[in-house]
Amino acid sequence: MPNPTALTPYPVTITKIVDETSDVKTFTVEFDDPEIMENFGNKPGQVCMLSVFGEGESTISITSSPTRGKFLEFTVKRVGRLTEVLHQMEVGQKFGVRGPYGNWFPYEAMKGKDLFFVGGGFALAPIRSLIDFALSDQYRSDYGRVEVLYGARSVDDMCFKGDLAERWPKLHNTGIYTTIDRPQDDWKGHVGFVPNYVEEVAPSPKNKVAIIAGPPIMIKFTLPVFAKLGFKDEQIITTLEMRMKCCLGKCGRCNIGSKFVCVDGPVFSQAELKGMPKEY
Amino acid sequence: MKAKIVNKGQLSGLLDKLAKDYDLVAPVKEETITLFKKISSAQDAFLDYTNSDVSPKGCFLPQSEKIFSYTYTGDSLEIVKPESAKKTVLFGARPCDIKAITTLDPVFEGEKFGDEFYSSKRENTVIIGLSCSKVLSTCFCYAFGGGPCDGTGSDLLFTEIGDKYYVEINTDKGQALVDANSQFFSSENTDQLAKDKEELAKKLAGEFVKKVDLTGVKELLDSDFELAYWDEDPYKKCIGCGTCTYVCPTCHCFDIFDFTTGDITGDRIRCWDSCMYPEYTLMAGGHNPRPTRKERIRNRFMHKLKYHLDRYNMVGCVGCGRCIRKCPVNIDITKIINDLKEVAQNA
Amino acid sequence: MMNLTKQIREQAKKLLEEKKVDLVIGFGQGTELARTTPVFIDSPEGVSALTWGPFCANNLAKYLIDYKNAPGNVAVVVKGCDSRSVIRLLDDNQISRDKIVVIGVPCAGQLEWQKVADEIKPDAALKETVDNGDSFVVKTSTGDHTFNKKDYMLHRCLVCENPNPVIADFTIGEELPVKNYAERFAEVEELEQLGLEEKSAYWDKQFSRCLRCYACRNVCSVCTCALCVFDQMKPMWVSKRTNLSENTVFHITRAFHVAGRCVDCGECDRVCPMDIPIRKLNQKIHKDLKDLFDSPTPGSKQGLLSALGEFSLGDPEEFM
Repeated sequence: MPNPTALTPYPVTITKIVDETSDVKTFTVEFDDPEIMENFGNKPGQVCMLSVFGEGESTISITSSPTRGKFLEFTVKRVGRLTEVLHQMEVGQKFGVRGPYGNWFPYEAMKGKDLFFVGGGFALAPIRSLIDFALSDQYRSDYGRVEVLYGARSVDDMCFKGDLAERWPKLHNTGIYTTIDRPQDDWKGHVGFVPNYVEEVAPSPKNKVAIIAGPPIMIKFTLPVFAKLGFKDEQIITTLEMRMKCCLGKCGRCNIGSKFVCVDGPVFSQAELKGMPKEY
Repeated sequence: MKAKIVNKGQLSGLLDKLAKDYDLVAPVKEETITLFKKISSAQDAFLDYTNSDVSPKGCFLPQSEKIFSYTYTGDSLEIVKPESAKKTVLFGARPCDIKAITTLDPVFEGEKFGDEFYSSKRENTVIIGLSCSKVLSTCFCYAFGGGPCDGTGSDLLFTEIGDKYYVEINTDKGQALVDANSQFFSSENTDQLAKDKEELAKKLAGEFVKKVDLTGVKELLDSDFELAYWDEDPYKKCIGCGTCTYVCPTCHCFDIFDFTTGDITGDRIRCWDSCMYPEYTLMAGGHNPRPTRKERIRNRFMHKLKYHLDRYNMVGCVGCGRCIRKCPVNIDITKIINDLKEVAQNA
Repeated sequence: MMNLTKQIREQAKKLLEEKKVDLVIGFGQGTELARTTPVFIDSPEGVSALTWGPFCANNLAKYLIDYKNAPGNVAVVVKGCDSRSVIRLLDDNQISRDKIVVIGVPCAGQLEWQKVADEIKPDAALKETVDNGDSFVVKTSTGDHTFNKKDYMLHRCLVCENPNPVIADFTIGEELPVKNYAERFAEVEELEQLGLEEKSAYWDKQFSRCLRCYACRNVCSVCTCALCVFDQMKPMWVSKRTNLSENTVFHITRAFHVAGRCVDCGECDRVCPMDIPIRKLNQKIHKDLKDLFDSPTPGSKQGLLSALGEFSLGDPEEFM
């Protein structure tokens, strides 16, 4: 049984790399020791600490649903030292992973409901695990209609193009809405910011859960739209980001009030967030 | 609860033996500073002190420690963990500092995940406390349920009375140490010494200068995160150094980083960090949830007085007073508590 | 001293009432008898919090930087040493002259509060302090205590160069004569006598105690970099770990970074929680500057370019 109490990562090997955009890549990895994957037990919404030895560690959400196979997918944006080195790695190379950490999307409580996902830019990654979970053969019948509304600055900034354009629309009872911020020649789809597009699509709150992830500014303007559409605070779920070092609830830095994002989050409902200090 | 006596003249013999059988950590004096260090003989111990400048929490959460060594080429990875903790005796820690260690226990051992480094040190260390014989003007352990002669958390508690030490045996670990060193522990009747200790505790309780009243403070902090109080002092005078957090026996924040020792080798190190530093919560994209000193000061005091209590049912401060002594600008947690109490009363 | 306190309050009140400033930064009674704490007064009624005496060791000048973008003006109460910081901040373009009002107070010396507190009943209340020339009399509710300056003053006050502020819009009280109780560079000369190994052992002993709290850097009025080299992540020059090597790099680098601008206010020494004699490093540099360039203490006059930041074509070039 892998010991998630340790600060010691396990080696993984990169089996696939997808260039999502010029600065975002999705890495598919497998543990060198298959028993670790057997017992990993990650749930949609959880995160891992990726170790690039010599640079340090970084918290990255597991973007793959556990239903998709015995591997983990991490979508990494190149923002700092560690991600810079990670982006230069190739298939077959290794780094370290420890986890799974954090809480997960309340997928049990969501059963029987329609799901409306909203993602912005690179931040579709943390909720993608739940999208695939709900659309999996194993659990599809537990959920109703699955809709994904996704916006990026431009076509070049769109992540998971394959999922959005081909894989998901083909699945049963899905609705995919994509938008970019400003018009572009090679784009025939919707143009406009995510909050405005949500207002246009106007999902009904009846028997629905909204799951939102994106940059703070997008979340700030999207939440009021859902409130206007009649969604209650308990119906809106989001996942937060914070600087993390231990991911074990010990190093102290990821707290929002009395909660640690690495242990009590990163998934929070809007109702929970309203009871927490606005310090994130 | 059993008790023994150690005659003062025998103490150095006991410490010398402990230094042979264990890693013995005791207070030492370096010029004007008292701190806890490993000693090899009793004569290095300095026991004529009120409280040390840096707390003994370093015995369990060292300023820096190696988590593992690695050899990494990108195509291969090897990790070597450090040896587990050696058998240690921590001698001479004051009751407030020992209580502080019990507030660290739920952080490292009680959250969803444990911490092998902390736990192995905790298991392998015998804590021998030393009751206070004097109260400093900055002490206020009573405010949080502690006291200058309180044995909570200690395996053995020594209290100096006349030319003897009255030794209370509080745990099996303590008993085992006494049994293994019985030549130093006398089994004379301790009834009188027990009474003397109570007298001492009463006397010291009357010597506290700081009057601290927590009435209504937690409720106030629970009810309003955006108190106007935080817009005034103390954040304006705070210079944002890490002194308070580093001398504090209950602070536990740490950083983790890799330190390369060669082309493909290195160590992953854990070391103390401070919530008072701006980059503590700085995220890779540049966003900082606590961008100014106001947010950081508010977070520090709310953590000590509310968050720690919420999570672990224990207050995050033990009243040792070090932060008050060492703060360059005289930010005083007791003043903040009393100010908040007034705000609560006037609300 | 009470009289001076009154005058400071009156001056502050006037400035606030006349809206010449929005804020007065001064000293207020601390939470111990022998301590003061910086106070930030923004209303005329609030000036009663201001105080003055031999427990006002803090250098308040650096707080001016916090308010450099504030809409109004700021007044600050400074001693002689602090006023050198004000000049240095002006010369470093960290603050602008027209936004600050300097309330200068000639200072007869500052006492080390820990030494004083050891001798006074802890629950006594401070009534008054009197300057008796070679000593201070501290009058408390439980009696009067005399502290002779030579034994109880801060080390830096024993060699005070500027008892009177070198810049002030308003001066409170009488000017004081320069009076030294020790040779300015005596401690540096003592260290200079040691051999290399002994010097190295001495500093190893001091630096090994360093907690890297950065109190010395944060209190220093000429350490004003927006991103300090020791906070940089890319590259990470020093980690947060304390070990002798990184501690030594920190202290020596910082001493050189402020060399030629350090005003010798001695705050770094005072704030160190581990009693590391940091000021000795800076004093060594001050001594060298005097010996090599006959340079006055930075900040003692406005417009003095930093000795290491100025060159003229006539400078000797023996080593080139």
